[in-house]
Amino acid sequence: MKWGLPALAALLLFYPFIFTGPFYWDIGVAFLLAAISASAWNIVGGYAGQVSVGHSMFFGVGAYTPLLFYQLWGLPPVAGVPAGMLVSLCLALAIGMPTFRLRGHYFSMATIAVAELIRIFVGTWELVGAAIGLQGPAVGRAWWDLMFRSELPYYYIFLAVLAVVLYTTFEVERSRFGYYLRAIKAGERAARSLGVPVRATKLKALMLSALFTSVAGSLYSIKTGFVDPESGFGILVSVQMVIVAALGGAGTLFGPLIGALILVPLQTATNTWFGGGGSGLTYILYGGIIVLLARFEPGGMHEWWQRVAPRLMRRWHAA
Amino acid sequence: MLLSAHNISKAFGSFLAVRDADLTVAEGEIIGLIGPNGAGKSTFFNCLAGDTAPTTGRVLFDGIDVTRSSAEAHARAGIGRTFQVPATFEDMTVLENVMVGAFLRHHHRGAARETALRIIEMTGLARQTAQRARSLGTPGRKRLEIARVLATEPRLMLLDEALAGLTPTELQQAIALVRRIHELGVTLVIVEHIMEVIMTLAQRVLVFNQGHVHGKPHEIVANEMVIEAYLGRGHRRRGETP
Repeated sequence: MKWGLPALAALLLFYPFIFTGPFYWDIGVAFLLAAISASAWNIVGGYAGQVSVGHSMFFGVGAYTPLLFYQLWGLPPVAGVPAGMLVSLCLALAIGMPTFRLRGHYFSMATIAVAELIRIFVGTWELVGAAIGLQGPAVGRAWWDLMFRSELPYYYIFLAVLAVVLYTTFEVERSRFGYYLRAIKAGERAARSLGVPVRATKLKALMLSALFTSVAGSLYSIKTGFVDPESGFGILVSVQMVIVAALGGAGTLFGPLIGALILVPLQTATNTWFGGGGSGLTYILYGGIIVLLARFEPGGMHEWWQRVAPRLMRRWHAA
Repeated sequence: MLLSAHNISKAFGSFLAVRDADLTVAEGEIIGLIGPNGAGKSTFFNCLAGDTAPTTGRVLFDGIDVTRSSAEAHARAGIGRTFQVPATFEDMTVLENVMVGAFLRHHHRGAARETALRIIEMTGLARQTAQRARSLGTPGRKRLEIARVLATEPRLMLLDEALAGLTPTELQQAIALVRRIHELGVTLVIVEHIMEVIMTLAQRVLVFNQGHVHGKPHEIVANEMVIEAYLGRGHRRRGETP
């Protein structure tokens, strides 16, 4: 559908003017953050089929580094973003080298183990605030502290980052690298026999994915001005990325957007209806979505729509 | 010699799947590899293709030792292989499948696409270009595997039962395709159960069975050991007494 992409771009661009007020803007920002994180995960988890359930390690590094820069040297948190990206890249390299020898579930389990180890370690490390975590500037000293009263500037910053992530993914999808990722997902042995450098390609995908996940973490901590081991490195952070991408359609460009579009309002609704007493509902919600997806639509909503849309169009034209 | 494999053995624990197999292939040859199920043909093939390293022995390709090289390195060197059970990339289209192979020599998308389209045309898959591999039947998948390997521009192709499970008409088309590939200058080693294919295409045959027998196709079908172990008595010429 030719009008699909411009319509989506226009909707995202004008969303704050269509749905006005802090409540809707907050949902918009949460949607964009979920979409950025899931799109970043999608590069290695969706396209290459390497289901990492430990991506919170990169998100956490990205979230902690800006606030650490502020705490240690009083620098604007944004100065820590490149450092977070660099640390995440090194971490991806260190984690990917040994774990990419493993396949399927073993790789997923290894990523969970590493992420949990890092979370426990950070929770006891005084330099990064141990279990209490880190805080950013209480009041913005200048614009470069990126402390805004309104959600609106955050919305457009996050939207710009999402555009960069999506454009990069689009380019990856069309490139030799993207073809290799999909071939690896479909069958490593066959890919190898065609000269695909399997481990190097997976490693590159993990590094690119880690880079963007780190940026997502940085955006989160700069906006909230706070991070602790659970909100940075907690397993729910990883699980949310996986579910958002899988719900929309892992290995597709717009799948993570669709997933975020469904999941974020759903989460907001459950939080609003049940308040603090319903905090465990998130786990039930995630679990339920996993079961439903596995049973009815393993390819996610994107695949479902691709199957249903032609039928709807035919009926519409017939009518 | 383009390919020389000497004293190739492959053991899985205490089980010896391949024992002291030898094979030499000259540039431009078509070699047939036959033998009963479980004789170790596919394992031997895997050793030649770099899928698994032999326990003992050496594989030389164009004079270079590739015994311990990876499957990727084998493909880069010019050894392409198909699989006994077609291993096509199911969610990718025919064009995308072949482009994965073409990217080995053509790093830019346009060049890879052009090469892939040319090979798709040659292998008779042009009408299925935009179809997903999962929608193809067995003959289509086998052709796609051949097309994908061909796109890597190999000097040597190892076909592992690439013509099995085809109807007589499809088989004739597939034989014609293999001939066309050979005319392009590609050397071929074919594992096949269908004797018609071996007799039609192979210039030399290697039989795998409790030891190995080499020879021309007409010598092989007259060999007592081969008849007993593999071809069955039906292959004796009419009027000949057992």
